[in-house]
Amino acid sequence: MVKPSPSISRRVSQLALLLSLPVALYLSLSLGSFSLTPGELLSQLLAGPGSSTQQTILWQIRLPRALLAGLVGASLSLAGTTFQATLRNPLADPYLLGVSGGAALGAVAALTGGVTTTWLVPLAAFGGAIGSLLAVFLIARAHSCAPHTLILSGVMIGSLAGALLLFLLWRAPVEAARQAIFWMAGNLSLADPTASQWGWPWVGCGLVLLWLLAPRLDVMTQGEETAANLGIDVGRTRLLLFTLAGALTAGAVAMAGMIGFIGLVVPHICRLLWGPGHRLLLPCAALLGAALLMVADALARSLYAPAEIPVGVVTALLGAPFFLYLLRRNRGEL
Amino acid sequence: MIQVQNLGFAFAETPIFTDLNFQVNAGEILTIIGPNGCGKSTLLRLLRGHLKSASGTIRWNGTPLSRLSSRELARLVAVVPQTTHIDFPYTVRELVTMGRYPHRHGLLGFHRPEDNRAVNHALGLADVIDLAERRATELSGGELQRVLLARALAQDTGTLFLDEATSHLDIDHRLELTELLLRLNREQGKTVVQISHDLDLAATISRRLLLLSAHGEMIALGPPDQVMTTANLQRLFHVDLRIDTNPYTGTPHITPLLNTLAGDLRHLSIHLLCGGGSGKALLRKLSLARAQLTVGPLNQGDSDHSLAVALDIPVITEAPFHPYSDKVLAQARQTAGQADIIVVAASCWGAGNLACLDLAVQEQQTGKPVYLIDPQPACDYTNGRAWEKITRLQTYGALSVRHEDQLIEHIKQRS
Repeated sequence: MVKPSPSISRRVSQLALLLSLPVALYLSLSLGSFSLTPGELLSQLLAGPGSSTQQTILWQIRLPRALLAGLVGASLSLAGTTFQATLRNPLADPYLLGVSGGAALGAVAALTGGVTTTWLVPLAAFGGAIGSLLAVFLIARAHSCAPHTLILSGVMIGSLAGALLLFLLWRAPVEAARQAIFWMAGNLSLADPTASQWGWPWVGCGLVLLWLLAPRLDVMTQGEETAANLGIDVGRTRLLLFTLAGALTAGAVAMAGMIGFIGLVVPHICRLLWGPGHRLLLPCAALLGAALLMVADALARSLYAPAEIPVGVVTALLGAPFFLYLLRRNRGEL
Repeated sequence: MIQVQNLGFAFAETPIFTDLNFQVNAGEILTIIGPNGCGKSTLLRLLRGHLKSASGTIRWNGTPLSRLSSRELARLVAVVPQTTHIDFPYTVRELVTMGRYPHRHGLLGFHRPEDNRAVNHALGLADVIDLAERRATELSGGELQRVLLARALAQDTGTLFLDEATSHLDIDHRLELTELLLRLNREQGKTVVQISHDLDLAATISRRLLLLSAHGEMIALGPPDQVMTTANLQRLFHVDLRIDTNPYTGTPHITPLLNTLAGDLRHLSIHLLCGGGSGKALLRKLSLARAQLTVGPLNQGDSDHSLAVALDIPVITEAPFHPYSDKVLAQARQTAGQADIIVVAASCWGAGNLACLDLAVQEQQTGKPVYLIDPQPACDYTNGRAWEKITRLQTYGALSVRHEDQLIEHIKQRS
């Protein structure tokens, strides 16, 4: 893990991160194929929802989408933080337990099966994610859910789902396959904006529950035996934490497909700035994850406007170099 | 009070403990002593409930271990582990505060004033107040050890388990910690169960010592002056030592006698047949005694091979994981032919090293003395072919010795 930077620069970056959410919201609302100046943005916001073109764009397209990006970013960061702490593995990310494979399989099955209702694809993805999570837990239960068994069964279920997915894509008509690939690369434009209606309580509950469990997460970072020495029922706690993190990931995948790197990088940045204590780390990670995904989505919409790049491409393009920079700055330790 | 009755435990198929009976009395300091790998840590983990016993019962104050929840256990006993590294950059205060986890109240688990008091008290006792705001990842091994002790003290339990907790400490902090343990024991009646390699210190502070043999049998349990005898310790560690009374404390004091053989064997040339680590002790001891050693055949990468190379002993080398070729065997035969004595130290026999026994048989036929170290029929994986050769060697006068020291005694008398 990381040596925290000297306190002054740390304060500055902490302040910058607190400001990141309004800034990200501003970018997300103003950027796109139809640019809004700050003045227009302010007046339309104050005017409230209405029927003018600008009002429609702002209130019915951009704001729901920005909020959705925020929700997805927050869930992925929360899930990543939880997995990294519980497994004591800096490379752990939200898709570790095969959730991505199951979700993709569900979504692609729906897309290639000719589903046209918008809300059915996220539902199928969610079903696939929860299904694979259950399968992983059932398999690993034989070994009382030891971390390596969980990870290995996650990888196996993931590859199984991957194989089925390729088979479906091979059989699918071209248009459906194209849509499926778009979905797999992570995309907020296909998502049903009303998803945020159930997304808010979902992510909100996840955050509150994890936050209540923060002291347990802290103790779990000390390793299983030490956690048990300090009075934690390790098996049950691990199951609880993984279920929460898995459910958050499933929700995120259902809302926006598979967006990489947010769940891996954000926890590291936040630990660098705020230390590893989870009472502070969890809300901070949710905040930063939300802000980062909003910015990434704004870029994805505006770089090739009016066309859109999958947002997963942007997060990876931003995330990977930043991660390498962190690694270099901390002499290879995370 | 911890009662252990008929405790049995095995790792996979290997039995560690078969029928262990003892009890840890409330308010005593009990030190577990034994050679590396005898199961000291395993015993501590069994008592703490990390491992499930195969048979027998462990009771804490009369309650079977299985009926205690993890939180109840964490209020009964705190453990100072043997850790030199911590992954997450928590501050020392945050780490020590984790010790209050089993005492938390309410859903939010926020700390109450008495938690802060306990943490500060523990920081003070373990002499880490100055480190309180430092990151655990920046600490030295010894500092970290004291921080982990502070965490265990913040846990505020009646019993403390220490697994070689003083092994990373400088002498001043080791003594300080020992004094602290004594004080906690006397003033607060804390029960201490510890594993230690420092026999003198253990004898000084412990009410009782528990001696475990290499096979996990309890050799002795009792006050240091009754248990710490030359016979017991020699049985445990196979070293020469003398025990007298420490004039300052009145407790047993151990003086290990270093190998006094040096120079004795320098006119003797010995060829060693070993492998897989079976020759390690002998290579070291004979090399200390300056005997003219040769070894082989051995595969490159074998731990005996690596050691022989490190000690500058001539080795007949075969490529890694290859059966011994005729060329290598001929080389070995030539080298062995020049030695005065052949020693067979290999512990297991398979198709791969059967040729070594043939070599020993041939050398014996030329009238050369052959020694066997602790041959066991159970370690013959050649359907009796190896054992047949060993029996033959013994029939024609090869001497079997129990361990390396006995062999050296024999060779010494001979020359």
